[in-house]
Amino acid sequence: MSLYGSAVKRPIMTTLCFVAVVIMGLFSLSKLPIDLYPDIETNTIMVMTSYPGASAQDIEQNVTRPLENVLNSVSNLKHISSKSRENISVITLEFEYGNDIDVITNDVRDKLDMIASQLPDDAENPTIFKFSTDMIPIMLLSVQASESMPGLYKILEDAVTNPLARVPGVGSVSISGAPKREIHVYVDPARLEAYNLTIEGISSIVANENRNIPGGSFDIGNDTYSMRVQGEFTSSDQLKNLVIGTHDGRNVYLSDVAKIDDSLEERAQETYNNGLKGAMIVVQKQSGANSVEISNKVLKMLPDLQKRLPSDVKLDIIVDTSDNIRNTIDSLIETVLYALLFVVLVVFLFLGRWRATVIITITIPISLIASFIYLAITGDSLNIVSLSALSISIGMVVDDAIVVLENVTTHIERGSDPKQAAVHGTNEVAISVVASTLTLIAVFFPLTLVTGMTGVLFRQLGWMVTIMMVISTTCALSLTPMLCSQMLRLNHHHSKLYNIFFRPIEKGLDAFDNGYASLLRWVVSHKIITIVLCLATFFGSLQLVKHVGTEFFPTNDDGRLGVNLELPIGTRVEVSKEVTDRLVKEWQQKYPEIKTINYSVGSASSDNTWASLSDNGPHIVSMNIKLSDPGDRDRHITDIAAGMRQDLLQYPEYKKALVNVGGNRGGSMGGQSTVDFEIYGYDFDETDSVAQMLKAELQKIPGTADITISRSDYQPEYQIDFDREKLAMYGLNLATAATYVRNRINGATASKFREDGEEYDIKVMYNKESRQSIEDIENILIYNAQGQSVRIKDVGKVVERFSPPTIERKDRERIITVSSIVQGVPMSQVVTAARAAIDKMDIPQGVSISIAGSYEDQQESFGDLLMLAVLIVILVYIVMAAQFESYTYPAIIMTSLLFAFSGVFIILYLTGHTLNIMSMIGAIMLIGIVVKNGIVLIDYITLNRERGLSIRRAVIDAGRSRLRPVVMTTLTTILGMIPMAVGTGQGAEMWRPMGTAVIGGLTFSTILTLLFVPVLYCVFARRGIKRQRRKFHKRLAKQQKAEAKKLLEQNN
Amino acid sequence: MKSVLITFDQAHYENIIELLTKLNCRGFTAWPEVTGRGSVKGEPHYGSHAWPALAQAIITIVPDDRADALLQGLKALDDARPKLGLRAFSWTIDKSI
Repeated sequence: MSLYGSAVKRPIMTTLCFVAVVIMGLFSLSKLPIDLYPDIETNTIMVMTSYPGASAQDIEQNVTRPLENVLNSVSNLKHISSKSRENISVITLEFEYGNDIDVITNDVRDKLDMIASQLPDDAENPTIFKFSTDMIPIMLLSVQASESMPGLYKILEDAVTNPLARVPGVGSVSISGAPKREIHVYVDPARLEAYNLTIEGISSIVANENRNIPGGSFDIGNDTYSMRVQGEFTSSDQLKNLVIGTHDGRNVYLSDVAKIDDSLEERAQETYNNGLKGAMIVVQKQSGANSVEISNKVLKMLPDLQKRLPSDVKLDIIVDTSDNIRNTIDSLIETVLYALLFVVLVVFLFLGRWRATVIITITIPISLIASFIYLAITGDSLNIVSLSALSISIGMVVDDAIVVLENVTTHIERGSDPKQAAVHGTNEVAISVVASTLTLIAVFFPLTLVTGMTGVLFRQLGWMVTIMMVISTTCALSLTPMLCSQMLRLNHHHSKLYNIFFRPIEKGLDAFDNGYASLLRWVVSHKIITIVLCLATFFGSLQLVKHVGTEFFPTNDDGRLGVNLELPIGTRVEVSKEVTDRLVKEWQQKYPEIKTINYSVGSASSDNTWASLSDNGPHIVSMNIKLSDPGDRDRHITDIAAGMRQDLLQYPEYKKALVNVGGNRGGSMGGQSTVDFEIYGYDFDETDSVAQMLKAELQKIPGTADITISRSDYQPEYQIDFDREKLAMYGLNLATAATYVRNRINGATASKFREDGEEYDIKVMYNKESRQSIEDIENILIYNAQGQSVRIKDVGKVVERFSPPTIERKDRERIITVSSIVQGVPMSQVVTAARAAIDKMDIPQGVSISIAGSYEDQQESFGDLLMLAVLIVILVYIVMAAQFESYTYPAIIMTSLLFAFSGVFIILYLTGHTLNIMSMIGAIMLIGIVVKNGIVLIDYITLNRERGLSIRRAVIDAGRSRLRPVVMTTLTTILGMIPMAVGTGQGAEMWRPMGTAVIGGLTFSTILTLLFVPVLYCVFARRGIKRQRRKFHKRLAKQQKAEAKKLLEQNN
Repeated sequence: MKSVLITFDQAHYENIIELLTKLNCRGFTAWPEVTGRGSVKGEPHYGSHAWPALAQAIITIVPDDRADALLQGLKALDDARPKLGLRAFSWTIDKSI
């Protein structure tokens, strides 16, 4: 027995089956994590090899190149880029998305094993480092403090970071801006010399004095006691009275030659929150953990943690990435609910019966909720993509149910019992319902096959919509007939309310049907004019393509700005801070949208995982700005960023200044697009000059901002050139001499001071005043094994040099990247203008420029999507041709695609949106949605013709009777999309272009399809009839001829 | 003995079986899906794309005294739902085994 037969016969089983699905779905929903995007697996592996003492060029030649050559053969490799700088080579391997990174890592490891023996002897073994989005901090907390500032590190460590690190899912918690305690022994070199002492001697004495040594066990009478010597310092003051030698028979104490300073580490990153000094706590998650969940837990803990802190220490949130996720998901859920409401309203208005409306709209929650089961099984999350899929589907899942219900109603009106009507009515339309679902699946299923970045994003969309379509069709073929058999009644009497509300609507709809029928009558009589007009509109709209810009992803307003500022190398922290303070004050006044502004400056200590991975130094300032919610302000984040970039031009102190929307530069999704110009060439000077030229050219192009050149300048530094012969004469070697220098300037870590279970470094070094000039360095004394001393200036020379910059390579060629943010104009405009400028430039032989960055990603994704579109068109054609058993009709229906694309271009042009990945996806979905209208129309026309109507009557009749279902299904889809297209919530920039594209394309194509397709049908059907007639006449003539011949022969 | 051939829209099936049971006409033979069209009016029942409706046929042999009642009952059914279509034809049975 058929599905619908059993469903109607067994209403309880049918109901409970769907109830079970809904319960499972809701259960899955309660378990689903929330995230912004589907899980994007990392596609980058870094290989780091250190080769101490080698210059950038040596590293490039001896480490980077051999490694690159062998790593290049790893499969699925997309790009290989490298940075060779002094002492270290960093190779970054970028792979195609969607590959198993563990397999790739093993592959890389194998290749590294192969090459290990060929690397220089002193080079250390290459280490593999996987970079993933998990390493981006999920929360930044600001800490403000006044009196507690000196001990802030310890306070925070005990009261905040340790409890936070215990939260399940939290990876690491680091503190920046709160310097750690350190005990400095500042030695006066003159006194040291006078007493004939060395820093090394002092450190070893400190180390030897600060010890606890167990002395073993001994017996007294019946008992055994252990013996210990407790020498460890209990207070830093004890250092002062340490005897470090004797002079003229008298003890020399440490305080005689040095100042003991129990304070904070000398060079640390400083953090300022809203202009006040404080600290920053960086929370990173464990790989694979859910950020929203963790941030919820952290937020819940914060009030408790605050209570444990001294009263002057205040915790606040600078960045909470989950905030954006939550807001985005909330606004998308709102969108979905609005779509649901609109669809229900449309169905109710068109049908005018509440029972029918209930039967149809019940398929929406069932299909939507069922898709959550899929998400739970695959371990995906509720994110932008999966929620968009819901929003898109709402309008489409009701279509099948509408078709079934309409036919069942016809049967009931003819006199069938509701039960019989449900079975036979469904039976009649089952095949066409399945076929129309197949066309939609032909569109959405290939989305699951796309590779690359777009594939990662849209695989979920493809699966979700496919699953929802299948469920809705199953629903339409089982639940809908069952509900029809139970709920529908033959009822000619309408209530008073119905007469008041629905009579006018029905009259209006009837007038609409008749109006369309008259229009159709006119167009089929004026075929040429109609065809010419429609095609003219299509070709006219193609002219708009030039004016619609293209870009990769729309810029997302998450209210977060990252600003990277760089002063000239060697600038002292104090100077960097002073300039930045001025900037912060100006910005706080100028942009009231700023909620918090926080910046860090200075070198990060190595135990701050996040800061030490990003660029840091006394001249580098990294700033985080949190703006108010997008709904609460008039200026878009990109406008504010543009204003800030203008302001930064007034600060010549900054050598480099970057304002990054969304926190990071060149983020493929959400951030502002970047265009990277890659200059390949071996010669440093040539490529440098091309880069400078290109930068100058780019600055002239409107819409470019924050142009950076990747190769840094030559860095000034001091070097000591030791004379090896002289060193040898004094019985010294280079390493010993260099260590002496290091111990005096950087300091020698003598020992650790222990207090309350914490360890603090005791560092012995020259006092600050004695390491501030080149003479100070030249006067450093070096002692040989015999205790004889010699000054640096006697065995070497201190010279100022420039260290060569990092050598960057990509795909095994040297490269400089000139990168620009695209601001205010579509990316395509900048690229076109830049191309023209590059063509005019005089580029030396051996240097080439290619364009990458978001532009490359866009080109790749557009290529993928175009390919996909072609595949989908073919699949849809196959499904339709199979359904109609004809090659012509599907081709006629396909013409509505032309108008759909016209509509997309027209609406993008009118609304000022660009053609980006999201609008492209919208256009691709249109392929499936718009052909549905054509199918309904052509299907009914052929039905009419089979019933014996003439072509013209068949067309007009079909038009009149199918107008309502076509308009109804189209309206449900369009209205389902409207909340997406006009959304203003957080993250709405992302799906607005998609909603807009679908609405424009669908509206335009429906209007033109309703006129163009019938006309085209008339033309082809008439030609078909003429051909048949000609054939018939030919055959007839042949027959007559043969008969005549026969007759003639007989007569003869 | 009379033979009655009933051809009708599928939707009538259960009503006709009910009628037969009520009249105590036990035996019948049914063809679940047959196609055809009426001589005068009504939609053809072809089960095709253009005419998706299908008909059924039942042949039943009833004692003479029940044949009229049966035909009357069928007439009433047809009158109640004229758009569905129901026709019955009866003739005499000479012999049977």
